[in-house]
Amino acid sequence: MSAIPVLPVPPATRPPSALRRLVQPLVTPMVFDYWASRVHPLWRWERPLARVLEKRAESADAVTLVLQANGHWQGFQPGQHVNIGVEIEGARVWRSYSLTNAIGSERLSITVKRIAGGRVSQHLVERVQVGDLLDIGPAFGEMVLPPTAMPSLFLAAGSGITPLMSLVRALDAQGMPAPVTLMYWARTREELCFVAELRALAARHANFQVRFVLTRQAAEAADEASGRIEAAHLAAHEDLAAHCVYACGPSGFTAAAAALVQDRAARFLCEAFTPPPRQDSDTGTVQVELAASGRSLTLRRGMSLLEALEAEGLKPTHGCRMGLCNTCVCGKSAGTTRDLTTGTLHGEPTAALKLCVSSATSDLVLDL
Amino acid sequence: MKTRSRALNPEELQRFGEELDALRKRTVATLGERDARYIRRSISAVRWLEVAGRAALFAGAFIHTILIPAWILGVLMLGLAKILENMTVGHNVIHGQYDWMGDPQLQGKTYEWDIVATSEYWRKTHNFRHHTYTNVRGMDDDIGYGLLRIFPEQKWKPFYLLQPPIAVIFCLLFEWGVAIQDLRLGRFLSGKMSFAKLWAQTRPVAKKAGRQVLKDYVIFPLLAGPFFLPVLLGNLAANVMRSIWTYVVIFCGHFTADAETFPKEVLRNESRGHWYLRQLRGSSNISGGRVIDVLTGDLSHQIEHHFFPDVPANRYAEMAVEVRQICKRYGQHYNTGSLFKQFGQVSWRILRHSFPSRPRRKTALVKLPSMPVVDVTPEPMQQPG
Repeated sequence: MSAIPVLPVPPATRPPSALRRLVQPLVTPMVFDYWASRVHPLWRWERPLARVLEKRAESADAVTLVLQANGHWQGFQPGQHVNIGVEIEGARVWRSYSLTNAIGSERLSITVKRIAGGRVSQHLVERVQVGDLLDIGPAFGEMVLPPTAMPSLFLAAGSGITPLMSLVRALDAQGMPAPVTLMYWARTREELCFVAELRALAARHANFQVRFVLTRQAAEAADEASGRIEAAHLAAHEDLAAHCVYACGPSGFTAAAAALVQDRAARFLCEAFTPPPRQDSDTGTVQVELAASGRSLTLRRGMSLLEALEAEGLKPTHGCRMGLCNTCVCGKSAGTTRDLTTGTLHGEPTAALKLCVSSATSDLVLDL
Repeated sequence: MKTRSRALNPEELQRFGEELDALRKRTVATLGERDARYIRRSISAVRWLEVAGRAALFAGAFIHTILIPAWILGVLMLGLAKILENMTVGHNVIHGQYDWMGDPQLQGKTYEWDIVATSEYWRKTHNFRHHTYTNVRGMDDDIGYGLLRIFPEQKWKPFYLLQPPIAVIFCLLFEWGVAIQDLRLGRFLSGKMSFAKLWAQTRPVAKKAGRQVLKDYVIFPLLAGPFFLPVLLGNLAANVMRSIWTYVVIFCGHFTADAETFPKEVLRNESRGHWYLRQLRGSSNISGGRVIDVLTGDLSHQIEHHFFPDVPANRYAEMAVEVRQICKRYGQHYNTGSLFKQFGQVSWRILRHSFPSRPRRKTALVKLPSMPVVDVTPEPMQQPG
């Protein structure tokens, strides 16, 4: 896989303006946010935030949310993702979504498919209303367009369509400078998103072809096919020597796509949506990545993280060692821990994990 | 005076701890929407009261016919805003009680409260030392704040004869006392700490205090132009009002007649149950219902707060019902009383122990199986303390 150059990541926060520097000693960001948000819902001192401008059904179980971000959000490139934070029962929960549209620097849209048992997707599909506020993180992801136009093959499965849709729309805006084929897999016709728009684009641009591939229904229309991804689907794309191939979908799909085309394509970029199966357990060891110090350690499960880190020779700041004083808390950006005082599992990222009363049950990424 | 709690045997002690752990677990499992609403509403109250208080002070300064009523109203509202910001929001958020919400502005590790003391030092002196080593002599600096002799176990010195007036001054300047608590000026004055170290510790405090002074005593008065004096005095009065109230509430929490202190030895291999029992014996509540709960940021439930410092304080009142039952079942005194009763006892301690006094007999926390009840303090009983 050859890497595509990525534009430099913008700084996390902009340098404060002269006015902000003047006001800073007098008003804390928290007080400023309280009053500013009463004047305009999106005004904040430094916190990126987005408001829902529009909500429309995209398929039987998916909605598109058009969002207006405030000036603290740094924009994105087509094909990237953002983390969206929603408040559910008082607590903020974050999930990543692909951006499906490029409309200026502060408008964005995400398409969310409802997942059974998925707290955030259900909240966004069922309960979020126009006017609601969502937290938004910086855009990330490397599946962006190459600096100069290349013939491309887009392979999407299920919700893997979303970043590729963003790329297709960006290329549409450029007038389809190079030939593009999109192959889009779904179980049934009802689960396909953006069908009318994609067909209209195919009719408009001679350079753009779309093919819908159904795994649980027979093909009917001329632009439909059926079956799971296999060599026969790609028969028309024997020569990929000048092509950039993008694959996005569940990990089984992207692995199959890689096996079929990775060696033949000039560039191959892929992103898998299904996380690898979690191995929660209270015995054995886990890999713990310490993001701030750039270290990676193998730690024992079943003991507090504080003790496990100390056993490795580290000296994390701590106080009471019994979960009271909040001195040892640190951020956890990935992985599952068990609260040893209550026995409950916590799988969400958090800014405040108590190392002294939490044990690892899966691999972790900590802000240490 | 007869002792009001019995010593627990190790088995009872363990069950006592397990029952309290179970209560905590049940409560934490139900945290949600209403707790988030409580802290956000508290913050709203702080913001609106501060604006209304400052507006009233300005109104009085500019419209002389209403000077006195507007000034009094302004001081009360501004003082109340500061009290709620410190007790309901600041103290509780800094404990990490609302960390679970994931709100970046309500994280215990980063919240900075509106008072001269820095949150950073508070996290060390209060969250860690005071809450872990509550009322353990030589470990918990909150016992008399290195200035007052509240318990007979503290060694008497002639200096303590001046304690009653010193306590009053300390009360009026309490926010400053808390700000410099972690600097350990005593160690510097006795030559145990270098000036360089003292200076390094003082800088963040001086910076924070400077901002607070600039805000309340320079910028807001200047905004009133020629009528700066009522605004300046109003801000001063509100800050003193906050100091007096926080002093009263905090002293009632650990220095009432039945509150106990402990020698360092209790910490050796201390079990969870023993830690809970020590929190109970060293803490006291203020009764008075919803009004007192709101005005103290639920620190009126000092016992529940010390049992569960990281559980949102708005839950303490309902947890207290079960805590009382558990204490009763294990024959433990649940120390509570009206503000007047509790602060009366605190005041008596301050007066009484300014003179030499000796500890009286107390019930041990644990009854060891092979031994009779062990005295924590072996001295014979003397005159009532």
